[in-house]
Amino acid sequence: MSTNPLKATRRAFLERSWNGIGSMGLAGMLADDLLGESVNPIAPKTQHTPRKAKHCIFLFMQGGVSQMDSFEYKPRLRELHGKPIPAGQAVAGELQGRLSFPHACVGSAFEFKRHGDTGRWLSELFPHLARRVDDLAFIHGIKTDNQNHGPATYHVTTGSQFPGSPSVGSWIQYGLGTQNQNMPGYVVIQDPRGAPCNGASVWANGYLPAVHQGTLLRDRGTPILNLKPPAQVSSSLQREEFDKIRQLNQEHLLSHPKDSELESRIAAYELAFRMQTAAPEAVDLSTEPESIRKLYGLDQEQTAGFGRQCLLARRMVERGVRYSLLIHGVQIGSHSWDDHGNVEGGMRKHSREVDQPVAALLEDLDHRGLLDETLVVWASEMGRTPFVNTSQLPKNPGREHNSYGLCMWMAGGNVKRGATVGATDAFSLRSMGAPIHVRDVHATILQLMGLEDESLTFRHAGRIRKLTDIGGHVLKEIIT
Amino acid sequence: MKTMSRNNHGMAYHRRRRATVWAGLMSCLIWITLLQEGITADEKEWPFYMPADVAPPQSKTIPQEGNEIDTFLLQRLGEKGLKYTEKASKLTLMRRVYFDLIGLPPTPERIDTFLADQEPKAYERLVDELLKDPRYGERWAKFWLDLVRYADTAGYEGDPDLPHAWRYRDYVIDSLNRDKPYDLFVKEQIAGDEFHEVMGAGELPIPEPERVVAMTFLRLAPFTEPRGNETRHELLSEMTSTVGSVFLGLTVGCAKCHDHKYDRIPIKDFYRMQAFFNTVQLMPPERGDAFQIGGSMPASFYRKGESEWAEAKRAEIRSRKDSYESMKTRLRIRAEEAKRQEKPLESTDSKNEKPEINLDQWVENPENMHISPEERQQYSQLRHQAKFVSQHLKRLVPRAMSLRHSFGPPYEPGIPVTHIMLRGAYDNPGESVEAGFPSCITGHQNAAQIRLDPFKRWPTRSRRMTLAQWIASDKNPMTARVIVNRLWMHHFGKGIVETPSDFGKLSGGPSHRTLLDWLALKLIDEKWRLKTIHRLMVTSAAYRQSSTVFDPLGLEIDPDNRLLSRFNRRRLEAEAIRDSILFVSGRLNPEMYGLPIFPKLPDGIEERVKYSNSKWATDTGPESRKRSIYIYQQRTLTMPFMQSFDGLVCEDTLPKRSTSITPLQALEMYNGTLTQEEAPHFADRCFNDASANPEDRLSLAFKRALGRHPSSREVQLLGDYTTSREGMTQLARILFNTSEFIYVD
Repeated sequence: MSTNPLKATRRAFLERSWNGIGSMGLAGMLADDLLGESVNPIAPKTQHTPRKAKHCIFLFMQGGVSQMDSFEYKPRLRELHGKPIPAGQAVAGELQGRLSFPHACVGSAFEFKRHGDTGRWLSELFPHLARRVDDLAFIHGIKTDNQNHGPATYHVTTGSQFPGSPSVGSWIQYGLGTQNQNMPGYVVIQDPRGAPCNGASVWANGYLPAVHQGTLLRDRGTPILNLKPPAQVSSSLQREEFDKIRQLNQEHLLSHPKDSELESRIAAYELAFRMQTAAPEAVDLSTEPESIRKLYGLDQEQTAGFGRQCLLARRMVERGVRYSLLIHGVQIGSHSWDDHGNVEGGMRKHSREVDQPVAALLEDLDHRGLLDETLVVWASEMGRTPFVNTSQLPKNPGREHNSYGLCMWMAGGNVKRGATVGATDAFSLRSMGAPIHVRDVHATILQLMGLEDESLTFRHAGRIRKLTDIGGHVLKEIIT
Repeated sequence: MKTMSRNNHGMAYHRRRRATVWAGLMSCLIWITLLQEGITADEKEWPFYMPADVAPPQSKTIPQEGNEIDTFLLQRLGEKGLKYTEKASKLTLMRRVYFDLIGLPPTPERIDTFLADQEPKAYERLVDELLKDPRYGERWAKFWLDLVRYADTAGYEGDPDLPHAWRYRDYVIDSLNRDKPYDLFVKEQIAGDEFHEVMGAGELPIPEPERVVAMTFLRLAPFTEPRGNETRHELLSEMTSTVGSVFLGLTVGCAKCHDHKYDRIPIKDFYRMQAFFNTVQLMPPERGDAFQIGGSMPASFYRKGESEWAEAKRAEIRSRKDSYESMKTRLRIRAEEAKRQEKPLESTDSKNEKPEINLDQWVENPENMHISPEERQQYSQLRHQAKFVSQHLKRLVPRAMSLRHSFGPPYEPGIPVTHIMLRGAYDNPGESVEAGFPSCITGHQNAAQIRLDPFKRWPTRSRRMTLAQWIASDKNPMTARVIVNRLWMHHFGKGIVETPSDFGKLSGGPSHRTLLDWLALKLIDEKWRLKTIHRLMVTSAAYRQSSTVFDPLGLEIDPDNRLLSRFNRRRLEAEAIRDSILFVSGRLNPEMYGLPIFPKLPDGIEERVKYSNSKWATDTGPESRKRSIYIYQQRTLTMPFMQSFDGLVCEDTLPKRSTSITPLQALEMYNGTLTQEEAPHFADRCFNDASANPEDRLSLAFKRALGRHPSSREVQLLGDYTTSREGMTQLARILFNTSEFIYVD
């Protein structure tokens, strides 16, 4: 508790502001390390538990990735191809409903092989990722609260199936701040073809202060909205006007002595000015050598999109950005992993788009010694069913939603290489043991970032709120 | 905002548990003592008893300009050895009260007349003038819409459009402007369809359109595709939680899954309250609205001139389609002609065949010399507008997103039984409960008396009205306190209770209990008319204090200024910032009410969040420059400008906005389209309206933007900009970006 009441108010003001500093000089503002934790809400903060990861890259596959065509080898399904699931499955909720309707199993159309020292089974769709398979730790049979895209996407990205909660990145920045004050601490690199389900609320700050919202890195125009001055304003003219604004604001501050909110507003203008240079530099891929561009698949039409997203994510890590949310897939349609029909064709297309870029990201980070300090998470909003809900197997069968069978993996930081937690039954229908809940995964992500889910709290509307709501169990099996 | 470290939290947790145990023991002891002394169970803790009828303290130090509010405040200040600081200047006060009541700055002309008005009650007259100004409703409705999480779309996947929601926005503006008694405002929104008594075996009365619109309140929660019982459970729970927090200031929603952790709201009380809503009947969705929860109800126009307005609007919208069609025909002929000329050697057989033309491509091709750039632009605008014609026409149909009570047997299912849903899960029913009021207020869990019609012909009716009458009653200890506290928060920057939707234990209690009580009773005395309370607050001496000059002692003793030894400087909300820029540039369209507006978004971001079709019907005309309250509230797309200044499209009830400071705000205010577009207009306007004397121009620019004259230092700093229109545009950019422009002293 501060004994100096003045300090207390200053703190209250500054906690809401981006970068509150007392010093007015430009030189002072450039020195990021001058900003103490007490005055800047996104200054780097100490971890609750020391962990290696300093950054997090969250790869979100919109639509519901088919686990039995990617990371779960279920030979039994081939035997059952075209037949219903054997009776007597202990299922509940929507799965029970789906099984009570006519359905036919769909065996995976893809070959599975063992890979790496761990000998993990992977489908032929991920030849590049197969090379890095030993880096990964898998979580199987994750249960989401809802089987519709909207709520399930909220659930995985914000911890609640209902809108209005802060996203995972917002919580992490709230807990850890960020290292580079010239860039937003939480960036979003979305699919160049469009937005995910629920739009921008997937990276919203919810009830946390707006400073913790994700900033969309755009793929056309300027990388951050409004980053360029109006056409008729040259850089020197802008500098001149910014100086005038600063002088007027400082003058104004004289009649508001010690008003930290106004002080930080002055600082925010200087940061904005610098961001105009820092952000375009950060997304300028022209300086990347040909070999790197090739590694990420920028030279091929199918991989260029997500390859660019992954390469940008690496550059964000290098620049001290705390959290990057990458989204692959667009709401609903052929660009989403939501393959209700022709899961074979769909999976071929989607995996082709991401496999090489994701593997390249892991390799590149590793090569630069950054994988150790970066947590990479692969997620989707749900798993899929082993069957299609029709009375007769169609020519190109698909798979339905399955809120009991989400499969995720993590890599980097303190993730235990080659580890596995949870398992689904022989049909990939649901978890064999007690289901792993999304809040357990979130607690694990926080833990890997050095945060305790029980301690990362915010009071809102009369309640102490947490990412994990009632608290999650950390999946210790995948942490070193 | 606090991040507790792990250990601290652990400690705090144990301390809290220990404290809870102690509190439990202590309260047992107290109860035993009370019972022994014969004190009845009616003795409740704050705030569950009626406001005390206290006389304002007598004080000799009351400033001349002020009222009863000051006697309460000064008494508390006096106890701490503090007093009010000096008065704010006339100009400061004027700007403050303008933004506060109508959300816009005063005009230079009004500044002059106000400064010249030396009569003793000049300020009071100004306040009355502003309270009568219809822009008051446009300003204050926004705070209410935040609370009820108003939006024009349902949210989630597909984010379906709610074409009739906007009528509720207009209802709120209109109700506030007419100073509708707050108790009536409450009843209309909860039970607008149950006002009339049904006597004998008569027909069900048809509710007034206004009241049908009012009940949109019950339908504003975000929803995803309907899922039978689960969705109904969530729908009723949303109604229960929102009514609890908005009207009663109780976080009733916390008890949906378990007994409230801090307040005396057991899970049973949540479901007893939910039972009041259990007879609501939603209309089935209209065709093509599969993702939307429920359809609409007929609600014809009720405000004067509204139906004529709709008629004219309909004609105008239709004509857009007509102009598009006729332009298309015209251009097609021209395109065909051009194609023929390009291929004169084609065989004569095909002469009668029309060449294949993709008109859009043909028009949009910049190298096409058969069409002028102006035509090209016009075509693209018309094409865009035509796309949204049916969407707009649908909004004009006189219907509201409302509901009614079920008709009950033999027409519709009978009276449903409400169960406690264990852990809040829709498929986990526990014991059944009867509709009843929260026991923390009434002191018991008896069933509420629901008065049915004499023949009990409509057994499903009157439930919500029973609840509404209890809430909107002079005898309810919460309702008046909660609303006056909300007004106080918006006027003074902080509530008397700092958490305006939570008067429970975690609120920390009121800073001025007797003042809050006095204000609550005053509201009831004044027949629940909010404008009388606004007037009291803004004419108090407390409100007229300076925010910049104050005694450092106050800062030390009361750093958060809860005792109000000075005024709290505040940042404007996103809406007020946008409206001010448009207002001072002279381009704000003052037209009130009507269809949602769709201002231009940067770089076509609306296309990035589209579902099957974008809903954002971009408009660049005067319509798009109406006040921000009319902006389309799309849950998956908040205008970046609004978002950067903490103005969100609400998903959840929002009692209080945050005011963060980010570099993105600077980028928005300096580089953004609004400033780019409006700065030259502001410049022209000052250039044209002022005399040729450059100093006059600077003066006028300052007066418009900041409500004051420039200092000599500022004249020196900025004087050079006033010689040309380009310079004045620069000046506009600079002024819009000053702290003074978006902060009010």
